[in-house]
Amino acid sequence: MNQVLVMAIKDLRLLFRDKLGAFFIIGFPILMGIFFGMVMGGPSSGSSRAKMKIAIVDLDQSSLSAKFVSLLESNESIEVIETELELAKEGVRKGQRLAMLVLNEGFGETAGIFWEKPPTIQIGVDPSRSAESAMLQGMILEGIGQLASQRMGDLSSMQDMLKKSRKQLANDQSISSGNRLLINSFFSSLEGMTQSIRALQTDADDSSSSPVGNGGFEFAKLKSIDVSRKIDPASQPGQMKKIKSKWDISFPQSTMWGVLACAAGFAISIARERTQGTMMRLQIAPISRSEVLIGKALACFLSVMLVISFMVGLGLLLGMRPGSYSMLALAALCIASCFVGIMMVMSNLGTTEESVNGAGWAINMVMAMFGGAMIPVMFMPQFMKSLSILSPVKWGILALEGAIWREFSLSEMMLPCGILLGVGVAGVAIGTRMLNHK
Amino acid sequence: MSNSIAEVSALKKSFGDIDAVSGLSFAIQQGETLGLLGPNGAGKTTVISLLVGLLKPDSGSVLIGNSICAEVGAPTLTATRRMLGVAPQALSIYETMSAQENLEFFGRLYGLSGKKLRDRVNWCLDFAQLQDRAKSRAETFSGGMKRRLNIAVALIHEPAILLLDEPTVGVDPQSRNHIFESIESLRERGMTILYTTHYMEEAERLCDRVAIVDHGKLLALDTVDNLIDQYGGASTVTGALAELSQTIEIPGELTGNSIRFSSDTPLQDVAALSAKGVTFQTLNIARPNLENVFLTLTGRSLRDG
Ligand SMILES: Nc1ncnc2c1ncn2[C@@H]1O[C@H](COP(=O)(O)OP(=O)(O)O)[C@@H](O)[C@H]1O
Ligand SMILES: [Mg+2]
Repeated sequence: MNQVLVMAIKDLRLLFRDKLGAFFIIGFPILMGIFFGMVMGGPSSGSSRAKMKIAIVDLDQSSLSAKFVSLLESNESIEVIETELELAKEGVRKGQRLAMLVLNEGFGETAGIFWEKPPTIQIGVDPSRSAESAMLQGMILEGIGQLASQRMGDLSSMQDMLKKSRKQLANDQSISSGNRLLINSFFSSLEGMTQSIRALQTDADDSSSSPVGNGGFEFAKLKSIDVSRKIDPASQPGQMKKIKSKWDISFPQSTMWGVLACAAGFAISIARERTQGTMMRLQIAPISRSEVLIGKALACFLSVMLVISFMVGLGLLLGMRPGSYSMLALAALCIASCFVGIMMVMSNLGTTEESVNGAGWAINMVMAMFGGAMIPVMFMPQFMKSLSILSPVKWGILALEGAIWREFSLSEMMLPCGILLGVGVAGVAIGTRMLNHK
Repeated sequence: MSNSIAEVSALKKSFGDIDAVSGLSFAIQQGETLGLLGPNGAGKTTVISLLVGLLKPDSGSVLIGNSICAEVGAPTLTATRRMLGVAPQALSIYETMSAQENLEFFGRLYGLSGKKLRDRVNWCLDFAQLQDRAKSRAETFSGGMKRRLNIAVALIHEPAILLLDEPTVGVDPQSRNHIFESIESLRERGMTILYTTHYMEEAERLCDRVAIVDHGKLLALDTVDNLIDQYGGASTVTGALAELSQTIEIPGELTGNSIRFSSDTPLQDVAALSAKGVTFQTLNIARPNLENVFLTLTGRSLRDG
């Protein structure tokens, strides 16, 4: 065992002495991770400036509800699509729509008439986009306010109407004095209301003000529909919502480049032991062949762990916040095991350093391309996506993402980790068998 | 023999059609330097590989110390492996490690550590005359320095037998001389050495006994003197006469005043000529060498390969 450590330490030292090799293991992943992190941008940046897409389900089908919809449509910040209830829910669940509104039957009868019961608007909002949805709620109420003012026509004429009503009330002897008092106060509050609306219309451009109501009066009741729990967590938008920082996508990807470089680096180092004759000395020394290989495997394993730790550390400095460190450790262990196996096979793909180098990187490139280390799997065309399951890189990235932002449970980690371990075991078996045949 | 430290008997190894080693037997005595002399392709490296267990013989056996190794290929016993120190014909050192790191790494592999390791590393650096370049990477060394390091690495664990496979190939004359001196110093310490070469001068200078091999077969094994006595043939006497005399009979060819003749007893012949009144301007008696021995045994020159 001591001998194995001596071997492993020597190999690690040699690996990082090779400047080009060290660059591919550490330098390249850093550059790639940071570059693509910056290019991709954060989870919500950009989307906040885009139009808020909302779905409206108009169950009322009245002229008033249509008017309300067109009022919302006229708002530059909102893009409206009218649809059915289920489609609307689906849209929000999939993250295609920020929110859905349901205008219940009877909306038109009461909306915008102050003395009627305020209409109930059901609203379902994507919970991950709360900042935007607050803004949206303001805009909805603003729309109702506009509806009210249009319905009442000119506000001054409404005030005249109110005065007229008051006079009629005063002359109506059939109303008890108690009720008269109540209705009077009601009219007073209405008068205050109309004045408020005037004020509101003058600063209507200021979209951030949310006219939730005035003097204890509501324009509309917003009743929320819970769409969040129904989101399919496996769906791409469902997953994307979990992204917390702009490094979440680029760092797992670029970390895998470092891992690939480790595998190639050690495969080459085994070939180099042969070409520079040191393998002969190792075979003569009081150390068994399997100890030599275990030493190599250990060094490769450690270097992969080192690369992953380093990249996670760098990510932390930049603001990446892994969801679970224990899952991350699990992912790292499985990735390291997997690529030890791949390294063992690679080392047998040629007899000289050059041929192993060539074959190793050719395989690496294919694994990286189909595994999503160049373009993330989710952005791939369908045929590549279906091929990606063949690449260990894909499972490595998935395991890292599962720990960093996909919020994978232990059982969800089992799939990528199981595949990684399986490839690792198969690789070691095939690699040693190939070596024994030489 | 009673004090043999390693022995091969009836050793056979072929690669496809090529019989690299065909029925070789010899023993290495404790403390001797045994030379394996033969042209390129004679099977010397193959013999070393079989001895240390890098190759498995087709038949025959290898005995190192008291343990029989051949059946299992590599000597499995750690103790047996520790007895052997090998400087392979092809350089086998880590180019990107310094001389010191190479020595330390292999020392640790052989279980050395602490002060013992430091002492051995220093001894080996001295031996290879690399003290002042101890911290330089091997890739910056000259061919001769690499060779010296290659030998030093074989000595790090104080092996009982040192196997040197053509240690002077590709080495400048100065380094070569240095290697000779260091091997001579090892001989004086009583180290057992197996030394392969295709240079007869090296075998003559360094080896107590020489085994002459060709096509994987042992042609002769004895001390240099005995080999020459037995297979070297006559000495050659060449010289120039001070004055030509008509009366005295001169053996061999006479061109101008130069003479040249072969003789099994050159000194007596020259003395006899002197006694008859012949005076020499120059005189050269060339003893036969291993080259002649090889020629006698194979009908070919060593250098022809
Ligand atoms: N691994 C091998 N495969 C095939 N032929 C070999 C191998 N090793 C040696 N030979 C052949 O065996 C013969 C003896 O080689 P070798 O022992 O290297 O000779 P030497 O060391 O005396 O020059 C040569 O003809 C060589 O070509
Ligand atoms: Mg040879």
